[in-house]
Amino acid sequence: MNLSQGGAWRAAADGDRLLLAAVAGGAVLLLVVFVILPLWGILSYSLITPGGLGLGNYARYFGDPRFVSIIGNTFEVSLSVTAATIVLAYGFAYALERTRMPLRPLLRVVALLPIFAPSLVQALGLQFLLGRNGLVNRTFGTELDIYGFWGIFVADLLYAFPHAFLILSTALAVGDQRLYESAEALGASAWRSFRTVTLPATRYGIASATFVVFTIVITDFGNPVVIGGNYSVLAVEIYNQVSGQANFSMGAVIGVLLLFPAALAVVAERWIARHQHAAVGAQSVPLRARPNRRRDLLWLCYCLLVGAAILAVVAVVVYASFVRLWPYNLSLSLRHYAFDVQNGIAPLWTSIQVAFVTAGIAVVVVTLAAYANHQLSEAVKRPLYFLSILPAAVPGMVLGLGYILAFNDPAHPVYAIYDTMLIIAVCNVYHYHAQGFLLATTNMKQISRTFEEASATLGATRLGTLLRVTLPMIWPSVLAIGAFFFMRAMVTLSAVIFLITPSTQLAAVSVLYLDDRGALNQAAAFAVCIMATVIGFLLATQAVLRLAGVRQVSLIR
Amino acid sequence: MFLELRGVTKRFAGLTAVDGLDLDIEAGEFICFLGPSGCGKTTLLRLIAGLESLDEGTIRLRGRDLGQLPARRRNFGVVFQSYSLFPSMTVGRNVGYGLVCRKWPRPRIEARVAEMLALVGLGDQAGKYPHELSGGMQQRVALARALAPEPEVLLLDEPLSALDAKVRESLRGEIRDLQKRLGITTVMVTHDQDEAMEMADRILVMNRGRIEQVGAAQDLYWRPETRFVGEFIGRLNLLERGRWQALLPALGEASHTLFAIRPEHVRLVGDDESVAGPVGEGQVRKVAFLGNMTRLLVEAEAGLVEIEVHGPLEGAGVGERLRFVLPGEHVSPIAADRR
Repeated sequence: MNLSQGGAWRAAADGDRLLLAAVAGGAVLLLVVFVILPLWGILSYSLITPGGLGLGNYARYFGDPRFVSIIGNTFEVSLSVTAATIVLAYGFAYALERTRMPLRPLLRVVALLPIFAPSLVQALGLQFLLGRNGLVNRTFGTELDIYGFWGIFVADLLYAFPHAFLILSTALAVGDQRLYESAEALGASAWRSFRTVTLPATRYGIASATFVVFTIVITDFGNPVVIGGNYSVLAVEIYNQVSGQANFSMGAVIGVLLLFPAALAVVAERWIARHQHAAVGAQSVPLRARPNRRRDLLWLCYCLLVGAAILAVVAVVVYASFVRLWPYNLSLSLRHYAFDVQNGIAPLWTSIQVAFVTAGIAVVVVTLAAYANHQLSEAVKRPLYFLSILPAAVPGMVLGLGYILAFNDPAHPVYAIYDTMLIIAVCNVYHYHAQGFLLATTNMKQISRTFEEASATLGATRLGTLLRVTLPMIWPSVLAIGAFFFMRAMVTLSAVIFLITPSTQLAAVSVLYLDDRGALNQAAAFAVCIMATVIGFLLATQAVLRLAGVRQVSLIR
Repeated sequence: MFLELRGVTKRFAGLTAVDGLDLDIEAGEFICFLGPSGCGKTTLLRLIAGLESLDEGTIRLRGRDLGQLPARRRNFGVVFQSYSLFPSMTVGRNVGYGLVCRKWPRPRIEARVAEMLALVGLGDQAGKYPHELSGGMQQRVALARALAPEPEVLLLDEPLSALDAKVRESLRGEIRDLQKRLGITTVMVTHDQDEAMEMADRILVMNRGRIEQVGAAQDLYWRPETRFVGEFIGRLNLLERGRWQALLPALGEASHTLFAIRPEHVRLVGDDESVAGPVGEGQVRKVAFLGNMTRLLVEAEAGLVEIEVHGPLEGAGVGERLRFVLPGEHVSPIAADRR
């Protein structure tokens, strides 16, 4: 071997390193621009006062009793909804995973329903059921008033339920039959073995679900804005300050205030996820619930009750979309699907386009970020990992406001896409970047490292390995990530509400506007269209996966 | 020298996996790295393959420093324990993968793939997917894939550990035959001493990142230099000079404090048999019947000694008293530790 050949080897090795550096660097740069800059925008804007930089805005905020009470409200509703959701969802998940009651597959689908709709659909449904002119008040002549704390409580409980259910049912699905048999052989009662075996084994799941639900509720905008009445929470107050009064500095202050608890919850959740060790080893005997008529029947009653509540709220929205004029004329009609108000049906098409663009960008961005994270050495990947999961701690309203503050400046390079569909898609990508990134990272981890090593020893370049070995193995999961982003882009309301323009009106926002104007039936029809689109897309994706012979990939997150 | 390792060192978070190791590997030889799990044998193989980077030392192939050369440029064939055939490719495409990476012309690739598959006896399986094959067949495909690009060295990382006992036995012979036929320099990592002894020209016994001893199977068995080697390969009675003085033949320098004898070399002596040297006496504590031989644990005055006798044994139940000798030609001094 001569020297010049050695030189060529070096160059090729550098080519491999260059590719990795470019991917990692690109991912970091994009994250800095689309996450850090907006956050910086919010933080700095909150400090700008007429008298120069200072904490004046914060002083003004905390000097106003109304603002202070909003913080109290926010925590009151977030904590109570979190507690209620975890208890109810744990019971539901337990019944589905640990008993032999009938209807389990159907109940699972029902529990997941709220995921397919924008968050304000629950509030909309509650209005139809329990509002001033709701089904209940008109049927029974009662004077129930759902607007306020209880409205938000029930709506957010239903909205957060599937997220808690997914985490808890995963935790409850695995278990070691031997432990239960040992407990039984030692004479433990069912209740004791639940306390000593089941509960400890699922405590990480419970903690994780708790923080996830808390984050969802404290950052939710759609439900409180529709059904909160005079009971104001932080997420709604940002919207009022910015969209209502164009008071950007107060919006920024509230953004910073909202950032803290959400960030804390996310940090706690990540910490738990990291310290969670596998409770089930290769030798564990998988759990198989034994039938027990009385127990199964009781659980079935409970699940039917919860399922009926979830279903009722969604079903009433669907029903209302088909009646002439809720609640005065309940004869069926398709007139609300004519969409002859506002922009007509256009926002739905815009939403679908945005969702496709979001999914397209996200699949590339998230997969490459996860790939770089997977390939880089432990020390180097820290910043990339941190930036990648940071968006989980950023509430949508905060991110959206950050985009206005950071990019609404003709001198800024990103201004080129400001007021376009693209910035909405980009905002969606980075709003849900953490979830997508973690999904992709999990997928990468599931592929044994030896495939890449085998490929390298056979002479493949890094890019060759990625294209010929890695991607062919993970494409179903990549597709699932695309579906996740599509779904989120269709239903999200919070981040994008600050970024829409008359020409880039979105479906979820239309539901809000129609509801605001009292056009409840049209709002319901629009919401049904969104749900139908999301479910249709998921079914189509599922069909593609089935046709390709892939079964293990779950599309619902 | 064909492959030369000098001062090779690799550390992981404070732990020294491979510690200043020197080794020369000759062209065409089959060498096994043998040792318990965590001894650094796999790390050493991965360093040679270029899958780990050296912290210190050099690795040279025909005098050329491999130092910073990435795995894909070394032209070493590697077979992993987990087969790691690409699941999305057919057997044929798996075997041809390295050739595609080297941009061989298509007809040549096809010919080479057919040749390699025939070589491992799977000529008719090219169109199948890995998951349609048994573990043994998959590992043969992995072997064909590693050999297809005509590698300089073949590296085998516990290639047989994931297989059933029967398949393992037959593949041992197949791999060894193939290696001899192709004359390819081969390094295999294993924790199975039988495998190493049956297949390798030379065995390198590793412990805690260092070499305990390198040599042919016979050398290691008959002349273990350290207690570790003696105990790792086969079974061994360790006799401290202080306690066993009376029964040990007069040998060795005074500096030797530890002696060793294999259980099958301890000779039982009949009650009426007269022997020239010193005779030990003890009580049988345990009897294990192992088919072709019987293993006894005998408690003598100086301590416990293990004795293996071929065939069945009469009159050696637990509690019986026995007489034995330690033949001088089989007792050897041994180092307690390498350091």
